[in-house]
Amino acid sequence: MPRLKARQDHLRISSFFAWLGYFFLVVPSLVVIPISFSTSSEIAVFPHRLSLHLYREFFHSSNWWPTTVQSFRVATLATVLALIVATPAAYALVRYEVRGKRLIHLVFLSPLFTPVVVIGLGSYLYFAYLGIGGTTLVLVFAHAVMISPFVLIAIMAGLRHIDPTLETAAMLMGASRWMIFGRVVLPQIVPALAAGALLGFLVSFDEVVIAYFVTSPVSQTLPVKMYSAIQWEISPVIAAVSTLLTASSLVISLAISLLQKPAWKAND
Amino acid sequence: MIGLLLLLFLFPLGFTLYNSIHDDGQFTLKGYRALVSSTLLLRVVSTTFQISIIASLVSLLLGYPIALHLSRQSPRKRAFYLMLVLLPFWTSILVKSFAFTVILGEHGIINSALVWSFGPDATIPMLFNRVGVIVGMVNYLLPFMVFPILASLLAQNPAIAQAAEIMGAGRLRILLSVTIPLTMPGAVAGLLMTLTLSLGMYITPALLGGRRDMMIANLIDFYTRQTLDWNLASTIAVLLLALSTGLAMLLFRVRQAEGSF
Repeated sequence: MPRLKARQDHLRISSFFAWLGYFFLVVPSLVVIPISFSTSSEIAVFPHRLSLHLYREFFHSSNWWPTTVQSFRVATLATVLALIVATPAAYALVRYEVRGKRLIHLVFLSPLFTPVVVIGLGSYLYFAYLGIGGTTLVLVFAHAVMISPFVLIAIMAGLRHIDPTLETAAMLMGASRWMIFGRVVLPQIVPALAAGALLGFLVSFDEVVIAYFVTSPVSQTLPVKMYSAIQWEISPVIAAVSTLLTASSLVISLAISLLQKPAWKAND
Repeated sequence: MIGLLLLLFLFPLGFTLYNSIHDDGQFTLKGYRALVSSTLLLRVVSTTFQISIIASLVSLLLGYPIALHLSRQSPRKRAFYLMLVLLPFWTSILVKSFAFTVILGEHGIINSALVWSFGPDATIPMLFNRVGVIVGMVNYLLPFMVFPILASLLAQNPAIAQAAEIMGAGRLRILLSVTIPLTMPGAVAGLLMTLTLSLGMYITPALLGGRRDMMIANLIDFYTRQTLDWNLASTIAVLLLALSTGLAMLLFRVRQAEGSF
C-alpha cells in the first residue's frame, strides 16, 4: 500500500518538526537550571558539585535583593492602579451600548500595540519635563498603562460569563447602581479579577525596556539590573535569578489558567 | 476613570510627537529630513526590516508544524503540549537571552560540542551576529505564531476534510489543498503579529546581536542616551509608532474578516 506509507511518512515528518519546535522553545528556559546550582564563579552547564552558593549570593548581596524588592513594589502598585481603572471600564464595555464602542475598545487596547520603546521614550521625556523624572512613581504610571489592556481583557472575559438577570433583579428590588456593581457584580468576578491581577503583575515584574528608560540607578528594577549584568559582567548569579524568575512565571501562569478554567467550562 | 490612565499614555505620546518637530522649543523639521537623508538611519531601518521579515518567516515555518501537531491531539494531551509553548511564552526575555549566550557563545554548549567532536577549529560564530538575533527572536515570536494558526485549525469544520476523503483524496492531499489553504487567515494574522513585535524589538538585538545588527529601537535608545538628541530620537519613535500602528490596523482587518474580533 504505497499511499498508506506516504501518509505515515508525512505525519512522521511534520511530528518531527513539531518536536524540534518544542525542543527549541523549552531548552532556553531549562538550561539555566543546572548552571544555577554550580559552585564555581564561572558558568558551567554541568556542574561537578551542586550547591546553593549562587542563591545565597543573590539573597544576600546588596546589588540584587534591593532591585527585587523594588520590582515587587512597582508591579504591585501598577497592578492595583490598573485594576482600579480597568474594572469599571470593562463593566461599561460589556454591559452598556454606547456610540463608538468599538473605537473606545480599540483605544483601550492600543498600549498593547505600541512598541514598548515608544512608551519608554515618551514617558521618559514627558515626566522629565514635568520634573518628576527617574522616580518610582513614573515607572508605576508607565507600567499601569502598559498592563491595563491585559487586565481589561481578563476582566471582560469574566464579565461575559455572569448572568445579567441577577443585576436586573437587584435593580428591580431597588439597589442603586453602585450597590449593584459592588455587591452583585464584583463578588461574581473575583476569579477574573485575580487572573487579571496576576497577569498584570507578571508582565510588569518582567518588563525591562520601559523600566530601563525611566528609572534612575536608585529606582532600578530587577530586570534592568539583570539586563546590565548580562551585558557587562556575565556573572553566574544571573543563572540563579533566571531560575527563580522562570519558576515564579510557571507558578503564576498555572494559577492564571486554573482561575480561568471555570469560565472556559461555562463556554463548552 | 480609565480616561486618567489614557492621559498618562496619550500625553507622553503627544509629547514625543511635539518633540519630533521641535528642538530647544524651536519648530524644526530637521528630524524628518534626517529620516530620508541620514545613511545610519536608512541602514538601521533596512536592517530592522530584513531581520523582522526573516524572523517572522522562520517562525511561520517552525510554528506551523507545532500548530498542526497540537490540533491533532486529544484535549488532554493538547493541554500538556500547550504547556511546552506557554512556558517559554511566560519566561522573561532576559532569561532566554542569557540562556542563548550560554548556548550559542564562543565557549557555549554548541561550540564546545563541536570542538569536542571535530577539533579546536570547528567553532561557528553564532553570538553577537545576525544568527544570534534571528535565533533569539524566533524563540520569542514562536508562541505568537502558533496561537492564531492553532485557532484557525481548530475552527475548521471537520466535514470539509471528510468530504475530501470520501471523494478519494489522500491525507497529504487533504493537508495541502484543504487544511493549509483554510488556515491562511490564521497564518497571515500570525505573520502580521510577529512582524509588529519584531519591528519594536530592543533586548534581543542588544544582547545577542553585534554592532551591525542595531535595530530601530536600539537607535532610539542611542540618540536618547548617547548623543542626547531628543529631537531625532522622537522622530524615529514616531516612525516606529506609525509602522506598528499600520501593521496593527491590518491585523484587525484580517481578524475582522475572520469574525474573531
